[in-house]
Amino acid sequence: MMNFPVLTTIIMLPLVFSGVLLFVKNEQGIKLVGLIGSLLVFFLSLPLYFLFEPVSSMQFVEHTIWIPAIGANYQLGIDGISLFMILLTTFLTPIVVLSSWNSVSRNIKGYMISMLILETGILGVFAALDLFLFYVFWEVVLIPMYFIIGIWGGERRIYAAIKFIIYTIFGSLLMLVAILFIYFYHGGLTGNYTFDILRLQQIYIPLGYQTWLFLAFGLSFAIKIPMFPFHTWLPDAHVEAPTGGSVILAGVLLKMGTYGFLRFCLPFFPHAVVQFVPLMLTLGVVGIIYGALVAMVQPDMKKLVAYSSVSHLGFVVVGIFALNTEGIQGGLIQMVNHGLSTGALFLIVGMIYERRQTRLIADFGGLAKQLPVFTVFFMIVTLSSIGLPGLNGFVGEYLILLGAFLSQKTFAVFAALGVILAAVYMLLMFQRVMFGKLENKENARLKDLSAREISLLLPIVALIIVIGVYPNFILSKMEPTVNSLIEKVQIQRENMALVEAVAGVSHLDER
Amino acid sequence: MNELIAVLVMLIGVGLVVGLLLFLSNWLGPKRENPVKGEPFECGNIPIATTSARFSVKFYTVAILFVLFDIEIAFLFPWAVVFQSLGWTGLVSMSLFIAVLLLGLAYAWKRGALQWD
Amino acid sequence: MSLSSLNLPVVAPVITLSLTGFVIVGVSLIWSKVSRHVFLLLSLLGLGLSFWFTTSLWNSNTIAFGGMVVADNYALFFNFIFLISAALSMLLSQGEHEQGHLLNAEYFALMLFATVGMVLMAAGSNLLVLFLGLETLSISLYVLAGIKRTEPKSLEAAFKYFLLGAFSSAFLLYGIAFIYGVTGSLSLRYISNFISSAPLASQPLLLLGGLLVVAGLGFKVVMFPFHMWAPDVYEGAATPVTAFMATGSKAAAFAALLRVLHSLFDGASTDWMVILSVLAVLTMFVGNLAAIAQANVKRMLAYSSVAHAGYVLIGLIAWSDAGTAGVLFYLLVYMFMTVGAFAVLSFLSSRQSEFVMLDDFRGLAFRKPAVALAMAVFMFSLAGLPPTAGFVGKFYLFSAAVKAGHTPLVVFAVVNSVISLYYYLGVVVMMFMRKTLRTLSIPPTVPLIACALLVAVLASCALGLFPSYLMDTIEHFAVHLL
Repeated sequence: MMNFPVLTTIIMLPLVFSGVLLFVKNEQGIKLVGLIGSLLVFFLSLPLYFLFEPVSSMQFVEHTIWIPAIGANYQLGIDGISLFMILLTTFLTPIVVLSSWNSVSRNIKGYMISMLILETGILGVFAALDLFLFYVFWEVVLIPMYFIIGIWGGERRIYAAIKFIIYTIFGSLLMLVAILFIYFYHGGLTGNYTFDILRLQQIYIPLGYQTWLFLAFGLSFAIKIPMFPFHTWLPDAHVEAPTGGSVILAGVLLKMGTYGFLRFCLPFFPHAVVQFVPLMLTLGVVGIIYGALVAMVQPDMKKLVAYSSVSHLGFVVVGIFALNTEGIQGGLIQMVNHGLSTGALFLIVGMIYERRQTRLIADFGGLAKQLPVFTVFFMIVTLSSIGLPGLNGFVGEYLILLGAFLSQKTFAVFAALGVILAAVYMLLMFQRVMFGKLENKENARLKDLSAREISLLLPIVALIIVIGVYPNFILSKMEPTVNSLIEKVQIQRENMALVEAVAGVSHLDER
Repeated sequence: MNELIAVLVMLIGVGLVVGLLLFLSNWLGPKRENPVKGEPFECGNIPIATTSARFSVKFYTVAILFVLFDIEIAFLFPWAVVFQSLGWTGLVSMSLFIAVLLLGLAYAWKRGALQWD
Repeated sequence: MSLSSLNLPVVAPVITLSLTGFVIVGVSLIWSKVSRHVFLLLSLLGLGLSFWFTTSLWNSNTIAFGGMVVADNYALFFNFIFLISAALSMLLSQGEHEQGHLLNAEYFALMLFATVGMVLMAAGSNLLVLFLGLETLSISLYVLAGIKRTEPKSLEAAFKYFLLGAFSSAFLLYGIAFIYGVTGSLSLRYISNFISSAPLASQPLLLLGGLLVVAGLGFKVVMFPFHMWAPDVYEGAATPVTAFMATGSKAAAFAALLRVLHSLFDGASTDWMVILSVLAVLTMFVGNLAAIAQANVKRMLAYSSVAHAGYVLIGLIAWSDAGTAGVLFYLLVYMFMTVGAFAVLSFLSSRQSEFVMLDDFRGLAFRKPAVALAMAVFMFSLAGLPPTAGFVGKFYLFSAAVKAGHTPLVVFAVVNSVISLYYYLGVVVMMFMRKTLRTLSIPPTVPLIACALLVAVLASCALGLFPSYLMDTIEHFAVHLL
């Protein structure tokens, strides 16, 4: 079983299905093929969880020579960090495909193909163990997302699509320069020119370089997350993207940024990370509060959810840069949570939009009586997003705040403010949309959720509750990886200090 | 020294002949003056006109063809001087060169570049 | 001296091309009613034969004409670029819009002669051969640029190209004269030896000569500040000619530039690097910023060609085996994607109207999805997004520069890539995200252009996904060049 290339299979399967889609003519067939493909990928990815040993090493490793001329290889593998990102992706994709059943009217074929290619790209990003391969997948993700926003989006879709791609490419190209720099630095030091992530982690990069490299990588990830002040593309992209696009964007794409911090910045530039902790925490906290405050005044539900993303991902950043087990675990859990709850929120907003062709909070009110099933789902998801104990959001936020409190108390206090603000804007929206009198007559004609829509939300809500009640099924698998990551950072920092001390001594000798 | 004397004799002889001819034509020829004869002569063109007058493009074709074959001659002379030492290689190379030019000439001819009207 | 000492087999590719050109002219003279496809067939045959000779010379590393022409793998690799570019461009001439102008004997013969010039430029290890090659190339291209005789724009293009081209030839010749004056030789090998014994810094005239040569070739590679002619000429010339000009003549000029610089500067001379770096940065910025404002896709591609010259210069500045390899790889890749982009234009231009404005692309994805997809691939490749060949090419160039310690330069290049993304995506936006406003009629599919398109798309993707074999090959011989 271990010899079977599981990762390649699940990465390439969507691509194969998108190829098949080229030859499918009728609309229903296209949707079905898309759904079957994404479901198949999901079921194939499930064994990953069960076969995954809770140890820190990379598992399901595959290695094939790709471009020996530059030392780039096709190298895959997952650890406790990427496992859940991959599962989240394979879990959300069928839901997204199904959610687009009726909402995407034109060129459904192109949409499904883009979605499946997108899935391939995202899975590749999370599974790649070779920097070059990682970069290729990282950029491959952009193209289908760009098309999804630009072709199937709303009014200002072209503006949003271009803004999205220019922002992210700018970041990632600087990262490319940094990648090249590390590559040659490592090659020059060891004589072995390779993009192997695990090998590249083993060298000590002088602090001066680390700072710049961290900034280059960090900028790319910060744009992707997006951290304040690089978040301005996000509201546009979210608002203009079709529902499915928003779900995948919020659910998985943004996680690529935080994943990048964990996979690259922490182990590669531990010293710079320590140096930048205050800055990163500040930006994280500013993001939390800023996102929450802006979300509070949004008249548009989708924009509100988009800004809440900024706020939630601020939590993740704070968790990661707390640099302790609790914080990072919380960050990881929060990444999954955010994918679930925000994904669900976007679905819910999309469902309302499909019915009423508007997303303005002011157009609604008193829907609770009209749409009881809908109300239940909306309620649970809202509470999860706020972080109610017993639901998944609580676990993540609690761990993050705990981690932050253990390392940087001030920041923890400010971050905690975000939890309160989240309650304010989420509940306000919920109240204004669902409760009160049903004043607008058009709302009286709305129908409750169909079976298809329920089947979209049900799995998400189930997971929200399961994680909330028994988070250990995630935590136990990721703990060794997180611990070893923190250990690595520590060791690197010590080594670094040693190297610099030696350098200092030799410097003195020269005098 | 001897060669220089030959040159001197040559110079004097030529001078005498030329002088004689000029004198004879001036002495024997009839002289009827008129304004047209007094103008500077330039191949039938009016000598004083605006500078922006256009020449027919045909002139250029002929001029370019002339330059081409003129240059061919310029190549042929040095080649002829060392013809012996170049041997067959030289002959073949020059034949090829001329063949290419001939092809060009044939092309120009066929396309009517040599026709004035 | 005998015929055999000339070592004629070494120039077999050139001879084949020239003879094919002559045969085409001859055939057109003898049978004036011969079918136009015969010329295409003959040309492709000639190109194919030349290709075959080039392949058979691979790894032979021979010289001919007493060392004036060399057939090292470097030159042969460029041969491949020229031959493929010429073949693809000829296929484009089958388009409805161009048929009237381009399907006569002159067009094919001149294309072949221009290719001869390119091959000589890459193979010449003597400044005179290089100059001859450049002139053969240029004169053919001057005529080709104006081959649409009835269109004022085409004539304007030809005239501009001729004037500025003559200007650049003069620069080049002047530079060669200086170099000859100082070193007493035109042979690059001799010059290289000369310089290794007497450093360049102490030879101001030689430096001046080198600068003039760079300027002369800079015209042809469309480098700032010698790029002024490009937009007008690219726009006015027939699309297949433009495609050929943009790819083949740029590659030829770079081939010559690399060779000359390698013999002029034995070690890495920092002054030179500074001059070239500044030029490279300006070239990129000027090209990319001007391209944003273009409404005509041909003009846009012209400015993008300027920008790409800047990227390639970065590989040159890296001044290493890897840099040279990067330049070679990039020029090949650039050829495929640019010819491809022009092929799309040819494919869509009908007899009445040329399909060149950005607005014409509106909603193309709904009318011709496959073509739109192909164009998108070329645009992404030109912008350097993975997994296309353009990405690997840029990666290769930039990595060489980073390795050589030119990280700031690469940062500039990267910023430029982002700028370029804006206008490349502009085309994609038009095709996929806007509705059709006015509909230009799209002509029926011409199978030969479709073939060219397919080749270009496949190459742009395959070289991006599996560049390994080609990279290995290039790196093997790029080592021997420095």
